Amino acid sequence: MATIGNNSFNAKLVLLGDMGTGKSSLVLRFVKGQFLEFQESTIGAAFFSQTLAVSDATVKLEIWDTAGQERYHSLAPMYYRGAAAAIIVYDISRMESFERAKKWVQELQKQGNPDMVTALAGNKCDLEDKRMVPTEEAQTYAEENRLFFMETSAKTATNVNDIFYEIARRLPRAQPAQQPAGMVLSDRAAARSQASVCCS
Amino acid sequence: MFGSQTQRETSNGFALRRRAYWITSAISNPRPNTITSSIPKKKSTLSVKFEDMYGFTVDGNIDDVNVLNEVRDKVREQAKVWLELEASKGTNWYLQSNGDRINVVSLKLSKLANAITLKRLVRKGIPPMVRPNVWLSVSGAEKKRSTVPDSYYDDLTRATEGKVTPATRQIDHDLPRTFPSHPWLDSPEGQASLRRVLVGYSFRDSDVGYCQGLNYVAALLLLVMKTEEDAFWMLAVLLENVLVNDCYTDNLSGCHVEQRVFKDLLAKKWPRIAAHLEAMEFDVSLVATEWFLCLFAKSLPSETTLRVWDVLFNEGAKVLFHVALAIFKMKEEDLLRARQIGEVIGILQTTTHHQYDPDELLTVAFEKIGSMTTNTITKERKKQEPAVMAELDQRQRRLDTSKMNG
Ligand SMILES: Nc1nc2c(ncn2[C@@H]2O[C@H](COP(=O)(O)OP(=O)(O)OP(=O)(O)O)[C@@H](O)[C@H]2O)c(=O)[nH]1
Ligand SMILES: [Mg+2]
Repeated sequence: MATIGNNSFNAKLVLLGDMGTGKSSLVLRFVKGQFLEFQESTIGAAFFSQTLAVSDATVKLEIWDTAGQERYHSLAPMYYRGAAAAIIVYDISRMESFERAKKWVQELQKQGNPDMVTALAGNKCDLEDKRMVPTEEAQTYAEENRLFFMETSAKTATNVNDIFYEIARRLPRAQPAQQPAGMVLSDRAAARSQASVCCS
Repeated sequence: MFGSQTQRETSNGFALRRRAYWITSAISNPRPNTITSSIPKKKSTLSVKFEDMYGFTVDGNIDDVNVLNEVRDKVREQAKVWLELEASKGTNWYLQSNGDRINVVSLKLSKLANAITLKRLVRKGIPPMVRPNVWLSVSGAEKKRSTVPDSYYDDLTRATEGKVTPATRQIDHDLPRTFPSHPWLDSPEGQASLRRVLVGYSFRDSDVGYCQGLNYVAALLLLVMKTEEDAFWMLAVLLENVLVNDCYTDNLSGCHVEQRVFKDLLAKKWPRIAAHLEAMEFDVSLVATEWFLCLFAKSLPSETTLRVWDVLFNEGAKVLFHVALAIFKMKEEDLLRARQIGEVIGILQTTTHHQYDPDELLTVAFEKIGSMTTNTITKERKKQEPAVMAELDQRQRRLDTSKMNG
């Protein structure tokens, strides 16, 4: 849950998605600016934190990068409990991973925090020639489910910072005292169904 | 089978990697190697890259190098002790302490004496030279193997060659992602070995199939055991006899049970730490899950991990609790000062990644925690099982209804 400090706050962000879709790679790209051709598979989950400045606040993201294998599913609630945001990642070259992403969306809708900011990331968009998941299909799905959608590449860095910053911008500023009068927060997801598509 | 890494016997019979991890003799610390000497811990800023005993690249500092050099000295001392024992008790004396067919009283007594000696010795570390044999013996892997035809492993690999299953697909996906910085594991040869072990096991037990985490465990087993077949049997005995059931199957229920037991133990043994972390809403499973699933292979340096495994194979799965509790205890003061989850994780990660001195960790693990018998742990597990099953069940039902509702 987002907690507020002096115009700065912490927010827990969880990455979910099938194994090998690039969750760890996205975090590594965002936090350290690196990419590894062979990224070790994650067991349980890995933790990172990164502070970013958005227009009106400083957000410290506490990022949980979870393990993707199906059977690790039963551990996931421990990581998404209390999360203010989630990035659900699939691999545009594997349809199966997109189906898995939809399951995560359902699960979060059912069990997560109703105010959770949820992003759908179609990763590995540098692999255009191997694409199996059409952009439009994912975008339509995202709109129907009030997610914001971007195609990303941890390899080329396309849209990686963008997706994390967009999440930070959309996070509800928890405390009314900090909130500029008249700002409406509840319609954030529905109002802005911006989609950003990978350009490779 | 490990290419250049197979040249490991030195003149005194002590197994040592050719590519050793000391940098120059000027840097190494010529301290007399008393086994109990404690190793000074000071911060050093000069960072160096070197290879440890099992060929892993380490990013450390000069102090780490010194610690590793001392550890190497201690290992050499232990090797002497083992050699002397072999001289007086006969080669493979430890094999007897596990057999159970001997009925003569005097033999029983010597068996008991051997078992006690063995337990003490194993906690001090099994020298790499005899590690494969001792592991096979004390874990029961040898016995397990003796119940099937000699050709079992070869037959299994031959029968499964070329077969494609969900498990093999996942294994293939993880092969290049398993300790990719290790030279042998990064080679086609190493990955082929690892593949055969994991694929073979996935067919032996289709309930386990392949579970992420086993790739790290099997990789380290291969580096120690030297032959694929021995590594395979160690993996089998580990999953089938040493660890609690269902750690790696289906929904990891065994792992959930272990985590609950661990939480209870932490609260009992280190109530201050447990209360502090609870107040921060920090669930220790957030970090401990990986420890238990990879048996510390991803967190501790290689020789330290293997020292934990020495005891694990000889004394059983309760060892994991000892070690996990020890890690928290060693950093008690720092943990009590931590105010944020990120700090807690940082403290635990730094401690584990830099725990080059196995004795420091194992001393806390076995001397500071108080007794925890396998029996008490078994009772604890029994107590937790229904709650875990209920929780997993309930979650599954909620997910199923969510599917039906769209
Ligand atoms: N071409 C391409 N490859 C990528 C990209 N992102 C990740 N990869 C590769 O895909 C593989 C898996 O990436 P990870 O980041 O480990 O995937 P993960 O989702 O964390 O996987 P688990 O930890 O097993 O759940 C790695 O070998 C990466 O190098 C990308 O944007 N483009
Ligand atoms: Mg990962």
